[in-house]
Amino acid sequence: MLQVILYNVTNGLIIGAFYVLMALGLSLILNLSNVINFAHGNFLALGGYFAFVLTPFVGFWGALLISPLLAGLLGFVVERLLIRRVYRRDPVYSLLLTFGLAFIIQDACRYIWGPNGLPLGIPDALSRPLSPALFFITWYRVFMVAIVIVAVAGLFAFLRHTRVGLRIRAGTLDLETVSTLGVNVRLLRSINFGVGSLLAGLSGVLAAGQIGLNPNMGDDLLMPSFIAIIVGGVGSLTGTLLGGLLIGLAGALTTVVYPAASEAVIYVIMAVVLLIRPRGLLGEEGMMT
Amino acid sequence: MSFLEVDAVAKSFGSLVALRGVSLSVQPGELRAVIGPNGAGKTTFFNLISGFFAPSAGTIRFNGRDVTRLPAYRRVSLGMARTFQVTEVFPELSVLENVLIAVEVAAGYRLRPWLGRSARAALRGRVDEILALAGLGQKADRLVGELAHGDQRAAEIAMALALRPRLLLLDEPTAGMGDQETYEITRLIRRLHRDAKLTIVLIEHDMRVIFHLADRISVLDQGRLLAEGTPAEIAANEAVQAAYLGKAA
Amino acid sequence: MNGAAVVAAIRRPAETRWLPLAALWAVLLAVPLWLPLVGGYTALAGRVLVLGLAAIGFNLLLGFTGVMSFGHAAYFGLGAYGAGLTLRYLAASTPLAMLLGTLLGGVAGTLFGLLIARRRGVYFAMVTIAFGQVCYYIAYSWNDLTGGFDGLRGFRRAPIGLGPLVLDIAGDGPAFYYFLLGVFAAAVALMGLLLRSPLGHSFIAIRENERRARFLGIPVERHIWLSFSISCGFTALAGSLYALLNNFADPLGLHYSLSGEIVIMTVMGGMRTFWGPLLGAAVFVVLQDYISSMTTNWMSFIGLLFVVVVLFFPRGLLGFLPRRGAR
Repeated sequence: MLQVILYNVTNGLIIGAFYVLMALGLSLILNLSNVINFAHGNFLALGGYFAFVLTPFVGFWGALLISPLLAGLLGFVVERLLIRRVYRRDPVYSLLLTFGLAFIIQDACRYIWGPNGLPLGIPDALSRPLSPALFFITWYRVFMVAIVIVAVAGLFAFLRHTRVGLRIRAGTLDLETVSTLGVNVRLLRSINFGVGSLLAGLSGVLAAGQIGLNPNMGDDLLMPSFIAIIVGGVGSLTGTLLGGLLIGLAGALTTVVYPAASEAVIYVIMAVVLLIRPRGLLGEEGMMT
Repeated sequence: MSFLEVDAVAKSFGSLVALRGVSLSVQPGELRAVIGPNGAGKTTFFNLISGFFAPSAGTIRFNGRDVTRLPAYRRVSLGMARTFQVTEVFPELSVLENVLIAVEVAAGYRLRPWLGRSARAALRGRVDEILALAGLGQKADRLVGELAHGDQRAAEIAMALALRPRLLLLDEPTAGMGDQETYEITRLIRRLHRDAKLTIVLIEHDMRVIFHLADRISVLDQGRLLAEGTPAEIAANEAVQAAYLGKAA
Repeated sequence: MNGAAVVAAIRRPAETRWLPLAALWAVLLAVPLWLPLVGGYTALAGRVLVLGLAAIGFNLLLGFTGVMSFGHAAYFGLGAYGAGLTLRYLAASTPLAMLLGTLLGGVAGTLFGLLIARRRGVYFAMVTIAFGQVCYYIAYSWNDLTGGFDGLRGFRRAPIGLGPLVLDIAGDGPAFYYFLLGVFAAAVALMGLLLRSPLGHSFIAIRENERRARFLGIPVERHIWLSFSISCGFTALAGSLYALLNNFADPLGLHYSLSGEIVIMTVMGGMRTFWGPLLGAAVFVVLQDYISSMTTNWMSFIGLLFVVVVLFFPRGLLGFLPRRGAR
């Protein structure tokens, strides 16, 4: 019984970590560019597939490093070529655009790599269990959580201590002022979109090592990531972090008690937040428009 | 009993204090001008009266009723109508349609999903009346967004009039206008005041307009009421000259 | 009616453009005659009508109130399930199925709308998507009632008895198409009238300028809520017709992909026009039918369609008609 609980809690932590990583990327893009990126889950899949292609050449560790960068670069290019054209228009257009992109990328993955699942090889050291008693927890799971923690810490450090990061944060609060201060807002948004895509790509590599690859592997993470943002409060990255952890853990704990409701509990949390605190846990009143 | 009674209203946005306790009372039929240098809190003051947001402190009474916390749309139904510093209209609708929407709301029809032929005709008559009053009869079918600036202002005033207001709040009605347009608008406002006996409060920068129209003038400076009086008194007031007229000149 | 003529939809221009309108209805009435000649089948036309109705209903909100929901599939799907469940478990009555389906979707939208009427823009969209996924989730996990992921089967639309007269819509013949057309016409007429009424005008006022609307005495949140509820109701009606059309309801009818398709139909046809969404639905349904029969990579083409519409035809097909009032 204890093992089941432990297993579920670690599962919840890992799922929560993925929600956080996905949702932070979505949230970055949403906050600065006011775009809901429906294709975010597809950047995740692309990250995984890039790793699949690269692993034979550079090994898992190399792929872990390069694939997210490639996903980020692709995000940067997509923003430059497509997304930026709709910033000044009604938000319906950016939604439709990323929606269409999601279709195209998913179909492209299916076309190139086939509709069936593919495995991503991970180093033997990581696929071993922690100990005979904890045979159900592999080092890979611990590794995933550790990488996510490092990535999140890195993101927050980037936003706090680099010039670009500071500008992104300032732009989130008041884009107009930032642009009058002479900051190149167009470039800032491209970089920001790239960083968001990079986080998605990283999630993709990590996820692929655990559950393998398939063209719509990001879909199941997209909706919980939206909910993490709503729960945490639109406009607040820390809120998104909290929201992701909260729904991940709540889902895992529910699995222990009543597995069938583990997905439902996420929606229940969202409903409760909408009812009691519509702007989300850390959302600012002015941010909800 | 005053018609509009503002008592010690204050408003701050975070650490920024926009108004620090301003009181003012307007008698029925009066035309009151509110003046003051930029950043004096005039528009904030208007926003409090009209219900754009609630004050941090103080009360507002309108026609004997406490409206301090009443939402904007309820104040409208009590007879308060306003225009904005930057013209707020329905740009992609025609002048007639702009006014018609206001007339429909004023007639209490805003929730009606259908309307009979006679009601429709009555509304139409009312629209024509207002368009004529605002001098827009010829331009009824033009899209408001395509009109000249002065005509857009006139259309906005026409919409406010369509609400059958008892108190009209005009935020810089002549802002950005040439002499001819300013003259037209001033004439319209005076007509509303003299002929229709409308109570009007207006924010204005153009001293010619103010001294031509106002019964009384309130001067705001740095979120406080600096002075109040007839145009002649205000013109002679040294504090006002120092704080405002001096700077403006 | 010219599309742009309904941009405002406030008053009938003296020279109401009845010719395009008459042509539209003539084309719709004659579908069973001409559609087979060009290689179509009547059920396809039924799909166009149903999705067109859903999109026109949706457009009350997007195009005429200026509020973007990205989760209208929820109400469409609830309408479908409501109708299917009624036929399967309650009574073999088509009108009752439509009524309960519409109520299920409409009431769900009304209640949910209460929660979100203060939200705007992207946030509104995101919350509506999430709520749509809640419905999707319920539909596929409540296996016993809904048939889960495989969808709800085991019901058939029933003939409608009108006293001695029986309207036999159970078969695959044109009778059901005309039934759909009748319901479509009634619903569209209602929406058209609504948009000419003071209530409809208040929606347009909110779209045009929320601040002005508020200071004309319109309680904006309440009217957005009303618009949302009405819009959900019509979309749910379309969903109940969809269940009748297919004798089937499935969770994909609630999925956000369908929400996206409803939005693209609307935008592609012209969201500032009344009839645009119907045209958009027709183009979308026919394209999807054609492409998916030609290639397995139809998703790419649909995705490409989204991108092309957004980048190059943002005003939609009917959006390019000359404006009324620019005289």
